[in-house]
Amino acid sequence: MDAMLDTITFLGKFLYYFVESLAYKIIPRGKKNIAGEIVLITGAGSGLGRLLALHFASHGAILVLWDINEEGNMETCRLAKEKGDVKVFVYKCDCSNRLEVYRVADQVRKEVGDVTILINNAGVVTGKLFLNIPDHMVERSFLVNALSHFWTCKTFLPAMIKNNHGHLVCISSVAGLTGTNRLSDYSASKFAAFGLAESLFLELTMRKKTDIKTTIICPYFIKTGMFKGCQTKYPLLLPLLEQEYVAKRVFDAILEEQVYVMIPKFIYFALILKQIISPKMMIALGEYLGADTCMSSFQGRENANELQAETEAPVAQAANVGTE
Amino acid sequence: MSSSLQSTKKFLVFLGKSLYTVLEALVSTIIPKPRKNVAGEIVLITGAGSGLGRLLALQFAHLGSVLVLWDVSKEGNEETCKLAQEAGARRVHAYICDCSQKEEVYRVADQVKKEVGDVSILINNAGIVTGRKFLDCPDELMEKSFDVNFKAHLWTYKAFLPAMIANNHGHLVCISSSAGLIGVNGLADYCASKFAALGFAESMFVETFAQKQRGVKTTIVCPFFIKTGMFEGCTTGCPSLLPILEPEYAVRKIIDAILREKLYLYMPKFLYFLVFLKSFLPLSTGLAIADYLGIFHAMDGFVDQKKQR
Repeated sequence: MDAMLDTITFLGKFLYYFVESLAYKIIPRGKKNIAGEIVLITGAGSGLGRLLALHFASHGAILVLWDINEEGNMETCRLAKEKGDVKVFVYKCDCSNRLEVYRVADQVRKEVGDVTILINNAGVVTGKLFLNIPDHMVERSFLVNALSHFWTCKTFLPAMIKNNHGHLVCISSVAGLTGTNRLSDYSASKFAAFGLAESLFLELTMRKKTDIKTTIICPYFIKTGMFKGCQTKYPLLLPLLEQEYVAKRVFDAILEEQVYVMIPKFIYFALILKQIISPKMMIALGEYLGADTCMSSFQGRENANELQAETEAPVAQAANVGTE
Repeated sequence: MSSSLQSTKKFLVFLGKSLYTVLEALVSTIIPKPRKNVAGEIVLITGAGSGLGRLLALQFAHLGSVLVLWDVSKEGNEETCKLAQEAGARRVHAYICDCSQKEEVYRVADQVKKEVGDVSILINNAGIVTGRKFLDCPDELMEKSFDVNFKAHLWTYKAFLPAMIANNHGHLVCISSSAGLIGVNGLADYCASKFAALGFAESMFVETFAQKQRGVKTTIVCPFFIKTGMFEGCTTGCPSLLPILEPEYAVRKIIDAILREKLYLYMPKFLYFLVFLKSFLPLSTGLAIADYLGIFHAMDGFVDQKKQR
């Protein structure tokens, strides 16, 4: 009897949600007002981070910008201030370093207040065959792209829960949904970021009366300096994305409180396909679309090598701290 | 003109490949691939001291492989060694190794290469679970989760893959989890580490395939909870569709997948359907399904085995 009741309730819910989601496809969702919200963006010094900062600035949010690159960060600050009377707080922070994250987070709490929208955007790419990537760079990929999310969530989530108000945004990647050639470390780290964000989403959903939102973004390669040199074969189906387009999509998704966002929409289809067709077919499709040769002409950021030297010592330090 | 000719050619090649792979997939479902002979292969299993690792070791002992057992626990590892010899293994080598430590992995790997030879089947099985809610889990424990469940795979690949590529002969087995496919409430760090392991193994598969290193195979295993004591106290809301697996069943399926060189193995079979549903159903319906299956409360009764000991 119990099982019957359970099943009937479940089927009822299922039908309701299905119809509801169809309705949302036609009726656009409302966008929330983020004026006065304290938005923290990691990796705000360039690329997607910078563009997102500018969007939030235009809509009256208070910006907290984190980046390891001070110059880029200050430039973002300058551009944001041009948008009008905007409060911008700039901090240098190497998010791969747990203690530094906690230290700067304390500063933010003292000088700005409780962060209400956390955007984990900072990311690095190596772009080589796995056996050719030096160990410390593999570790670094993982520390910046995945572990940093742990530390930022750990430090900012308690206040969000206390105020019952907050929004966690995780910038993952298509490489976080499917394994990719020449991106083994990046892919693994983006998978981890996705897994964390999804688990946290479920944990937060399970708490009663929680109003903390989660958004997980999975874009294909974006034309920022990060994936410089990449090429795509069929711009219609699987284009290298324009930064502004992605930033707008991400910004809208946050305002509409969407949970999963794949850019471009073709990725939804590719994911469904992945579950049905055999792996070899998936590879044939990837080859055809040029997804595998995309990385062959990868150049990445010019100053990535300088950054490598700069962060080698801190990475070693962080690694030691982690294993104590 | 010639560019459109080229595009047409590329499209035809793609169609040809697709057709071939579809036929291949159809044929392999009707006529299952034969099980390969692993007698004499050097099989390295991490976390061989207990649970799944031990059972896998015993199976490979039956199949006549050379066993290399790694575990952080001396007694557990030696017990597995003894049982393997009783099961008929002629060559068993046991090493203490904490695979969360990169330098230790490399050091013991060098020992293995010297004393045993080139590992041809690498089974990354070692895993720990903290089972704490995200904000209640100390940072060091979360990092340890990662180091054992995922980063160990990086170092073992680095240590053993070059020889596999050089010999164009090898098999990489990644024991991930259903929690590596779908996020789970109460398992944030474990999920993230298992997602990473899966993503890494998948990327490496694509890489070895693209590099035409076809002699190197990959198998990625995603089981639901197995009754090995690791997830003691965990429950399922729907034992018919999503049962807590018996260890013997799990091991049998994993060995079968390895011998038939399958790429993915999800256990139970319902998981394939669940992941398929997740890929296109709207979020709220997905959550309703998860709720019905009892996934949200699966970890409520979790008992930390380490504390018990």
